[in-house]
Amino acid sequence: MKLFHYINFIIIVLLLIAICITEELVVSNSLKEIQTRCYEIEMTLAGTDDLLNMDMTMQIDNLEYVWKEDEAAMCFLVNHKNIQEIGQEIAKLKLYIASNDIDAFRVSLEEIKFYCHSYLHFMGANLHNVL
Amino acid sequence: MLTIIIRSIIIYLIVLLVFRLMGKRQLGQMQPFELVLTLIIADLATIPMAEVSVPVLHGVVPLLTLVVLHFVLTLISRSSQFVSKIISGKPVIIVNPKGIDYQAMKKLNLSTDDIFEALRGAGYFSISDVQYAIMETNGKVSVMPKASAAPVTNEDLKTQAEDSFLPIVLVSDGKIIKENIALAGVSQEEVTAIVKENSNTKNNSIKDVLLLTINKTGQAYLQMKKGEGLSFQSKRLVSE
Repeated sequence: MKLFHYINFIIIVLLLIAICITEELVVSNSLKEIQTRCYEIEMTLAGTDDLLNMDMTMQIDNLEYVWKEDEAAMCFLVNHKNIQEIGQEIAKLKLYIASNDIDAFRVSLEEIKFYCHSYLHFMGANLHNVL
Repeated sequence: MLTIIIRSIIIYLIVLLVFRLMGKRQLGQMQPFELVLTLIIADLATIPMAEVSVPVLHGVVPLLTLVVLHFVLTLISRSSQFVSKIISGKPVIIVNPKGIDYQAMKKLNLSTDDIFEALRGAGYFSISDVQYAIMETNGKVSVMPKASAAPVTNEDLKTQAEDSFLPIVLVSDGKIIKENIALAGVSQEEVTAIVKENSNTKNNSIKDVLLLTINKTGQAYLQMKKGEGLSFQSKRLVSE
């Protein structure tokens, strides 16, 4: 076989490895970051019954900012349908703050955590996913 | 819709690249594992093309993985006869001097019609003309005729024949092929002169030429777009 074929082969293998590593870094880090921020919001939520405070609004704004930054990179790697739900739930959080609907806010927060957790599980290379 | 068009172009280029990396084999020349890969590639390519929510990378990664797999399988089958037999199978004699090998026919799941079709395709219409017919691993049938049905060669007739030379296409569809005239060692002016000297029509410029070929001995063939083809001996000898 020609040297050219070997070079192609090596380039493709390296490219595939690079894609796998990038996916692991970008998607995993982004989703874990979102999960962590959700836990922080939950902590803040535990100490109050009122959503209409500056701290909560700022936390949700930060969450939305982080998500929008990561979403662009994640679109290259993840099925868009799987991540658009997280974006929708974050948008809902802002609405629930405006209407001070704490129960709906909690549900949305749980859903974001659930989506992050399920996708993190879904992208791992384990026997469940392979089969 | 523009997204789908752009995605289609990207996927098309990638699939083209994948097939170029896999080699130039035609569908009928493929080994079984190559055919399987081709079918999977065709299916994989359509998913990110039509489904906008699927990232293009989800189509590209499996395609590239298959290229790697193909490379590895080819490498293994070349280095090991045993693995090659498992992956590609081995040629099977389906017709021998005693006739059709019924066991081989059943093993390959062939009917007598299939065998006759393959023999006719190879230019033999009677099974009595066939000494051996072999089903190759790519599904093609190679036929060795009986001596009585084999084409007569110069060696059989004990005659001397000159070797033929590969004709070089100098002009095709009104365009001079610069690469080939350099290969033949003639100039564009010489090509124009050959056309003018030998054209049998009024319009005898290069753009009126359908085909002009010439070989090492100066044997040329010229066909104008409007006119009949003409074979002649050119004074201008070309180097091959």
